[in-house]
Amino acid sequence: MKHKIFGAAVLLGLTVLPQSLLSQRLNPADILHPAADSWPSYHGDYSGRRHSPLTQVTPQNVSNLSLAWAFQTNQTAQIKSSPLLVDGVLYFTVPENVWAVDARSGHQIWHYTSPPTPGDHIGNRGVGMYREWLYFMLPDGQLVCLNARNGSVRWKVQIADASKGYWTTMAPIVIRNHVIVGVSGDLDNLTGYLRSVDPETGQTQWQWNATPPSGTPNSTTGGMTWMPGTYDPDLNLLYWGTGNPTPVLNGAVRPGDDLYTCSIVALNPDTGKLAWAFSVSPHDTHDWDAVETPVLVDGIFHGEPRKMLMQTSRNGYFFVLDRTNGKSLLTVPYGPVNWTLGVDKDGHPVPNPDKEPAPDGRLIAPDEGGLTNYRSPSFDPKTGLFIVDAHPSYGIYFAKPADGAYGWAGADYGLWGKGTIEAIDYRTGKIRWKHEVGEGGSGAGVLTTDSGLVFTGDAYGNLMVLDSSDGRTLWHAGTGAPMQSSPITYELDGRQYVLTSSGGVMFAWALPQSANERKLAATTAHPQSR
Amino acid sequence: MMKKFLVAVLFVTAGFIASQYRPTPAHAASAVSGVEAYANHCAICHGDNREGILPAFPPLQGITRQMTDQQITEIIHSGRGRMPGFPKLGQDELTALLQYLSTDDQPSAEAAKGSSSLATAGGLLFQQNCAFCHGRDAEGGESGPDLTQSRLVRRDRGGDRISEVIRNGRPEKKMPAFHFSEQEMHSLVAFIHEAEAKAVSKPGGRRGVEVADLQTGNVSAGRDYFNGEGRCSSCHSPSGDLAGIASRYEGLQLEEQMLYPREAKNHATVTLPSGEKVTGTVAYLDEFTIALRDSAGQYRSWSVNKVKYKLEARVNAHAELLGQYSDDDIHNLMAYLQTLR
Repeated sequence: MKHKIFGAAVLLGLTVLPQSLLSQRLNPADILHPAADSWPSYHGDYSGRRHSPLTQVTPQNVSNLSLAWAFQTNQTAQIKSSPLLVDGVLYFTVPENVWAVDARSGHQIWHYTSPPTPGDHIGNRGVGMYREWLYFMLPDGQLVCLNARNGSVRWKVQIADASKGYWTTMAPIVIRNHVIVGVSGDLDNLTGYLRSVDPETGQTQWQWNATPPSGTPNSTTGGMTWMPGTYDPDLNLLYWGTGNPTPVLNGAVRPGDDLYTCSIVALNPDTGKLAWAFSVSPHDTHDWDAVETPVLVDGIFHGEPRKMLMQTSRNGYFFVLDRTNGKSLLTVPYGPVNWTLGVDKDGHPVPNPDKEPAPDGRLIAPDEGGLTNYRSPSFDPKTGLFIVDAHPSYGIYFAKPADGAYGWAGADYGLWGKGTIEAIDYRTGKIRWKHEVGEGGSGAGVLTTDSGLVFTGDAYGNLMVLDSSDGRTLWHAGTGAPMQSSPITYELDGRQYVLTSSGGVMFAWALPQSANERKLAATTAHPQSR
Repeated sequence: MMKKFLVAVLFVTAGFIASQYRPTPAHAASAVSGVEAYANHCAICHGDNREGILPAFPPLQGITRQMTDQQITEIIHSGRGRMPGFPKLGQDELTALLQYLSTDDQPSAEAAKGSSSLATAGGLLFQQNCAFCHGRDAEGGESGPDLTQSRLVRRDRGGDRISEVIRNGRPEKKMPAFHFSEQEMHSLVAFIHEAEAKAVSKPGGRRGVEVADLQTGNVSAGRDYFNGEGRCSSCHSPSGDLAGIASRYEGLQLEEQMLYPREAKNHATVTLPSGEKVTGTVAYLDEFTIALRDSAGQYRSWSVNKVKYKLEARVNAHAELLGQYSDDDIHNLMAYLQTLR
């Protein structure tokens, strides 16, 4: 019944679209085929490939890359968001703050700051956009709808209850007239869920729960949905990774696979109905959220054209699934992994019970941060390489009865790790090239372009540009702090920009404007200042 | 508008906390030097407000209801257990101290109350900024250590150590630096100490990793691994660099040091185009730049494509072993190292 009403609303929405075209800033349909001068959603498009067709910056001229502008947030919070770019305006965030910045000059248009909120301020991944409205999550579970023109608040709705232990960081994803939002919070035994709200009113359209309510016997809680997913418009399926089960390190009270935690799920975005689910870490006891970008790729796999979904998961395995039905095509580790007995016939890693946290400690690879984490990987269709910022690492995990069965329920400590940019051949899982980026690990996301470039960062704060074909360094620049976000790129006025952030600063890189353009600029600029 | 309101709230809060914090002993005149004597000799272990630092150091609130002046004097003069004696404490100072210890607990109770509201404010900041890594109750969480069992927290007096870590961060452990106002810092410190006290008083066994948990290994198997498969003896010696290691580190800290000593310094020799060689500890190294600190403490850096360098990173052997240990190897090695006192 409900679904029919939604269906009708969608149809209605579609029929009135042409009239409202004049006033809107971002037509939801434009996200399907983003223009070169836009980056209209977290991943740039619905596929999550973070790959751009732009080719102005090339391996040959990248050595001339230079700073076009930098924007200071003047915040101690690090930028962990991916900016959106719509109509020449960039929108990016740190917790409780949104900036609208001119993409040509880097000057501020407006700045929204919310009143102080409770909830974990660990980070914010950015905003979603629908027509002239922005959607922004506050740390305390509120979704704010802002006017993109001036940052004024249109409405706020409560998505999650911070007093129970939820917090929110993710960048909402807009599909037609659905604003899809997820939640965080694994310091308590809480149900993870994904919710779709109406972009005009903030009213809930549907909610999908990853786990049963807390207190359900022999079942798990958790499965937080704290990173934006991806979407296949042809199959009309929304793909989302879910977080770890709770209690986190104590698996005894939640026997079995703990569905749908640490899973990749496919949902109908109009109804929230589950189409399929694939358990990436059955019965996780190491905090390895499977929220890393579910990257959608159409290509040949073992001689057959396939609609695939790929994930380099935090648990150390690279997964290739058939995204029409969730069946496994490939499961292979992409770095040191010591917690499994192998992989079962359906492509699920089989956890080794001896590697569950124990009173005297268990040495585990990778560490709790995982073999990769929330920053995006990139798929380069030209080379067929899946390029990820990997983190080979070891940690030690403890749990004992005194730790109880609530929240963390144990303790774990990272011992050692390093950063390695890895290029994985999706057909075999073999690593084609590796580029070490430093002790401890980098934390930078990855962007690739059609011209054969990889943009990422190292552990020391260098922006790194590598050659996609072999991983060799082509250019670098010190930025003062390691990148904690994923780069984006766009072209404005015929000039390609690459945006990266470090600390609280957003940097825009571009090739120098040509001598002619500079000359023209010099003769026409600032006549009043003479 | 909002800002003005916030400022006003801050002022009121600060005033409230200040008034709560000031101890007002019942016998103010005679207790003044007693307060000083306490602060000079006792507070470092028994707490600023006689609240004690459990489990190591007992509270002294109401101590005169448990002991006579005679008994207290005896302990002060001779010490007890790990407490040192203060035989040279003058009669005047001793009298003042006894007087102070006998004062009503009201001031410290009031201070505790003040501290608790301070801790509540700190709790909010902690949830926003710290809980993700250190857990909501400061008992450890995602990647951050249990602060209630931290030696640094235990040794902290009124924020002297904790605030330093918060201000500077611990870049080598990936803890960022935070900028808090003095008042915010006070409140965070108060919250952490309150969490510590709560954790200690929790019934039913201690959470987290205790020294007793790490005793499952076999000493002789550990010794064999040290000298054999682990090849530890190719760099280390139980009578040399590791002599007394178990007295310097214990429990989890010893195990972490054993598995990967983070602060170990790497050495390198850089050969300049002139042929000059510079040797020192590696102060910085990325793909493009190397920097050394020489024996005189002088910092020098070079572009790596202008020089040649040879890195001596002996600590890498620890990282390589991580891929080879069984859990039993680790427990046995721990058992062996714990005999090196």
